[in-house]
Amino acid sequence: MGTSYIYKRDASRLFIALRENGKRYKIYLPMESAPVINGTEQDINFVEQDDFYYAFDWKDKRFHCELVSHDQNKAVIKVNGVEYKYSLESIFSYIRRGMINNDENKIDANNILAPMPGKIVDIFLSDGDLVNEGEPILTLEAMKMQNEITATCNGVIRKIRIQKGQSVMKDELLVEIQSIDV
Amino acid sequence: MKQKLLIVNRGEIAIRIIRSAHKLEMSALVFQSDKEPDALYLQYADEIIPAKDGGNDKSIFLDIPRIIQLALEHKVNLIHPGYGFLSENPEFAALCAENGINFIGPSAALIKEMGLKTVAKSMAVKAGLPLVPGSDGPVTNAKAAREFAEKIGFPIILKASAGGGGRGMRIVENPESIERNFKSASDEALAAFGNGDMFIEKYLQNPKHIEFQILGDKHGNVIHLGERECSLQRKHQKIIEEAPSASLTTEKRNEMGDMAIRFAKSIGYFSVGTIEFIMNEDGSYYFMEMNTRIQVEHPVTEMITGVDLIDWQIRVALDQHLTLRQDDIKINGWAIECRVNTEDPQNRFSPQTGFIDKIHFPQNSYTRIETGVVSGSVVTPYFDSMIAKIIVHGKDRGDAIEKTLAALYEFSLIGLKTTVPFCRIVLQHPEFVNAKYTTRWVDQVFTPEMLENEDDEMIGALAATIMYASEYLQLSSDLPTYKHDSLNVWVLNKRLNY
Repeated sequence: MGTSYIYKRDASRLFIALRENGKRYKIYLPMESAPVINGTEQDINFVEQDDFYYAFDWKDKRFHCELVSHDQNKAVIKVNGVEYKYSLESIFSYIRRGMINNDENKIDANNILAPMPGKIVDIFLSDGDLVNEGEPILTLEAMKMQNEITATCNGVIRKIRIQKGQSVMKDELLVEIQSIDV
Repeated sequence: MKQKLLIVNRGEIAIRIIRSAHKLEMSALVFQSDKEPDALYLQYADEIIPAKDGGNDKSIFLDIPRIIQLALEHKVNLIHPGYGFLSENPEFAALCAENGINFIGPSAALIKEMGLKTVAKSMAVKAGLPLVPGSDGPVTNAKAAREFAEKIGFPIILKASAGGGGRGMRIVENPESIERNFKSASDEALAAFGNGDMFIEKYLQNPKHIEFQILGDKHGNVIHLGERECSLQRKHQKIIEEAPSASLTTEKRNEMGDMAIRFAKSIGYFSVGTIEFIMNEDGSYYFMEMNTRIQVEHPVTEMITGVDLIDWQIRVALDQHLTLRQDDIKINGWAIECRVNTEDPQNRFSPQTGFIDKIHFPQNSYTRIETGVVSGSVVTPYFDSMIAKIIVHGKDRGDAIEKTLAALYEFSLIGLKTTVPFCRIVLQHPEFVNAKYTTRWVDQVFTPEMLENEDDEMIGALAATIMYASEYLQLSSDLPTYKHDSLNVWVLNKRLNY
């Protein structure tokens, strides 16, 4: 598991902030590194915090953020004196509400099928984990060769269909992934 | 015994006047209104006169008999009215004089004359100042209206002579539509005011507001200190002012300045005063009115001339001779003032009241801050929404714009919305940068969406998410399957590193 992956498994730290104008921010808050916004780690410094107030430094500028109002998952934030309204969702509720990739054909496109018959020798992730595009999910042994099977998108593991040690057939469904790339 | 100067005002201008009073070794007195008993200006005064509101709800700053009574009780020598309130009230000036108190301003008679617009205009005409071309008296029929309009040129504006509030008012672009418009406006005026008479005036489509600062003593000396451009207005109130104006050449400045002096001398004016002109796109200009007080935007003039206007305003009130000559007045660089009003530019500049949790002003050698508030101050609904002014000096206009913008980005106020984000947008707009902006900029160009930008939007999304996440993760932590750690690890790390 390379540390260079931006999403670090814990999907409960991934949120969607939506504005009324349709603009959507996919915000991942890792434990110990800078926030990932729409798939890019941003060099944002958190410089001050108070009740309902945060200040950030970014691009050599100071950003003063005040929470103006807050109702359930709606929040109005005043940034440098101008108000912006957002509605916020965890990635789980966002997916549950079908707001991401609700095209059925597309959903299947990111599922992992066995490329060849073989045996599952290792599984690195669990249901509900966040996975990065190109990140290994499991090892499939076929004809004495170990093949790392990687995710084809950034996403949330919906369901791992197989168990360690299990033999699988070609094209058998191994892992269901919900893409978070839009 | 020090002279006692009573300031019949509040907020930033009270503090500004106290500064001058101290410089002139006077003792500064202020009223403590119970509408804002903890106001900042009180801290600067030498003596505070408590002024509880009586049975009536009249503010002390407008209560002439009580002001005079309290001033006499406290043996006040001079009264400075500031701007607004009683600063242009001739009765107040007259009562001060009658009671032996030196009113810092021109005479009651001058205040009265300049306050009556028709009187001021006829005095201006006598001194050779141009007025917006218009009918001298009412025009009673459509044919006469057309003839007159063709004489002065289109577009013109028809105004009900008995009118007000926009009723019976029409802007007419061409001769074809004047008779129809005259009839409908006249009918409207007749219905609304019982009088269908109309005035006709030339309509300036994209006017600029240019005003000249003058300073005169009681011995006939008058100088001008150049102009200010105050075209950036909302609801007919100025919000950004600059000096000098990019719309004047040196020749025109001298011409208009001479005119301002000539007018002031012709009416025997003394004290500080401002002569306002409206300027057309083609550079033609017309006298609008004269203000007989110190103006909100006086600091831009002070910044480019180095002359302390309030010091002089007090000194000439003390009969001192003006020692400055016109040749002494040199314009040095450029100055811009942005008014910090607690208003919501995203919502038609509606006033905001409440606590100022935190306020931070830029601090550097070229920025002057005039403020009536500090962190923790309250903005009440009883007074003006202007809480502070940020005035910046640059070596030229471009430099001044750049520095002002930086100052506005450094400013922050937590708790209420202000006009500062609006000013930031104006200073970056091509029409301001190219000095093409007019008094109609807010109505014609500005939309609240202009206040938004992608960086702020993204950081706002981050802030909203962190606030939401800290709740969400806390809730989730109750579930045994979630390993809860504070979200703030990143926060802490970043703060330590900072």
